[in-house]
Amino acid sequence: MFNKVLIANRGEIAVRILRACRELGIQTVAVYSEVDRQAMHVRYATEAYLLGPAPSNESYLKGEKIIEIALKSGAGAIHPGYGFLAERADFAQAVEDAGLEFIGPKPYAIGSMGDKAIARETMMKAGVPVVPGTGGTDNLSDEELLELAPGVGFPLLIKATAGGGGKGMREVKNIEEMPTLLQSARREANASFGNDNIYLEKMILGARHVEIQILADKFGNVIHLNERECSLQRRHQKLLEEAPSAFVDDDLRQRMGDVAVKAAEAVDYESAGTIECLVDADKNFYFLEMNTRLQVEHPVTELVMGVDIVKEQIRIARGRKLSFAQEDIKINGAAIECRINAEDPHNSFMPSTGLISHAVIPTGPGIRVDTGVYAGSEITPYYDSMISKLIVWGETRAQAILRMRRALEEYKVVGVRTNIPFHQAMMDSHPFMGGQFHTRFVEEEFSMEHIAEGKETFPEVAAIIATLVQHEETERAAHVVRRNARDTSNWKWLSRWERLSK
Amino acid sequence: MKYITTIDGKEFSVEIIDDRHVSIDGKIVEVDFESVRAQPVFSLIVDGKSYEAYVYEGEEDLEVLVKGRLYHSKVEDERERRLRAASGVDVADSGIFHLKAPMPGLIVSISVEEGQEVKKGDVLLILESMKMQNELKSPRDGVIGRIQVTDGDSVEQRQKLLSVE
Repeated sequence: MFNKVLIANRGEIAVRILRACRELGIQTVAVYSEVDRQAMHVRYATEAYLLGPAPSNESYLKGEKIIEIALKSGAGAIHPGYGFLAERADFAQAVEDAGLEFIGPKPYAIGSMGDKAIARETMMKAGVPVVPGTGGTDNLSDEELLELAPGVGFPLLIKATAGGGGKGMREVKNIEEMPTLLQSARREANASFGNDNIYLEKMILGARHVEIQILADKFGNVIHLNERECSLQRRHQKLLEEAPSAFVDDDLRQRMGDVAVKAAEAVDYESAGTIECLVDADKNFYFLEMNTRLQVEHPVTELVMGVDIVKEQIRIARGRKLSFAQEDIKINGAAIECRINAEDPHNSFMPSTGLISHAVIPTGPGIRVDTGVYAGSEITPYYDSMISKLIVWGETRAQAILRMRRALEEYKVVGVRTNIPFHQAMMDSHPFMGGQFHTRFVEEEFSMEHIAEGKETFPEVAAIIATLVQHEETERAAHVVRRNARDTSNWKWLSRWERLSK
Repeated sequence: MKYITTIDGKEFSVEIIDDRHVSIDGKIVEVDFESVRAQPVFSLIVDGKSYEAYVYEGEEDLEVLVKGRLYHSKVEDERERRLRAASGVDVADSGIFHLKAPMPGLIVSISVEEGQEVKKGDVLLILESMKMQNELKSPRDGVIGRIQVTDGDSVEQRQKLLSVE
């Protein structure tokens, strides 16, 4: 059993895992790129080793070097976090071959879920409903896909079998525009994943993105921790997540949970994983994909289920049985997570880089902030733009929304633009409050400007403050000039004056 | 001291009478203004109401964050105002617009050619940064002047990319 863990990641998730290790009394090894020398995860760990220059493929993606560091430092296990090496079956295999424990599922499970087409097949065989489509295990040509498209029905989605994060994904409204879109999807898939295999999937309109968290140990025990609502997305990137979903009732929850457990069992899953589904307006659900890793949004589940998912992952990897049985899992209250990204919501969400000169993090009852940045840290263009996750818990969903509103107002980040104003507008949005939204809501129906109308503003207060700040600055500048004009010190003036008056 | 302060395009005439009194558009209010040490934080109590504000230099103006809302402000004293009025039109609307990189990144593709006419909102080029592709658009109608970068170039923040004339 290992007593030292290497964390092959950076940012907030590295800090999150370090914290779990500390609480368990496990030693930690951090790895870092040149620009992350001062990062929190480096300072927080028991040991830290340099990987290389800033770009990911010269640092956090260097699997061999990471394994070498683990062996040299005596770490017995590697936690990959999310992103980077987390869903690389070959990396998981290499870790195992080196005699180390990979904190995650077996390479076989990662591999069969990583290829979306194989995942679809596996799920269909296990009796899990999937979105109608072509399936893509047989590498269909453009001609074959064009022929099959009317059968799938428009609108449809072109997806990359090796895909993720919306790369290589195209929406097709009709057959006329399909040939060009097929080509661009293949091009993007090839550039992103080195594999241009694509398949077709029917587009389910007005659907929600709901996912089920599962936990499985090495003894075949599998439980689910209910659902997370992740419909609020922009360009297929999640922005805000909740647990539980306002749309899911007990019956649907039960059905989805059962299917998720079945899906996990179909690939002999172990560790934490997530089954992502689309749910249509009639509460039919379809398997989308399985994420074979810890998710960004795991904290909302932790808050309402009272389970520390990262600690469970580590316990499972150490060969322990799950600490919970399915009947222990009860929903308590509601939780919301806002992803705080360094991007400007007033300027088409343009990423913002620079130095965070000042930061005030919200505190008080029911608030959790997972972050890896601090005042004085630099947001570089090398990694993604998420700087922290603000998570709140409330007795009810309404209480959680009110608390999130309060927390967002307390949160101040100076130096880079953030999407905090976007989340503030979302908390004031009536469809959001009513739980009435779907995966296209942010892009098609939501408007920050519209919500800003009719809100109380304080332009006069702002005018007074701006003027006073400017005035004080001018005065100070003038004062400095005046003092320099009189080149002698005040003490000398005093003694001269004293001499004169003698 | 009299100032003309613009908040999000709306002008206010603000006069600082003494340490405790300010007049805004002719209305005199009692103010208690404190700055929190070593932080860009200010506390204003005006007629008993308490406001906390973050004030920092933006790209072209002073940004004031009050009650979760950001205000763009510009403060000019009367002399500056007269000077600006005498110098005539604002250059921003009539001169050459230089597209500068809003952040460091990689030029993925340039959508325009030198001499090409563009409309406001047309995509000029795509810049990749933080794993995202960002479309940079033209802020107004015009003709593309010199293009100073090519596909695949790495650019620094604020580097000039091209101009719209």
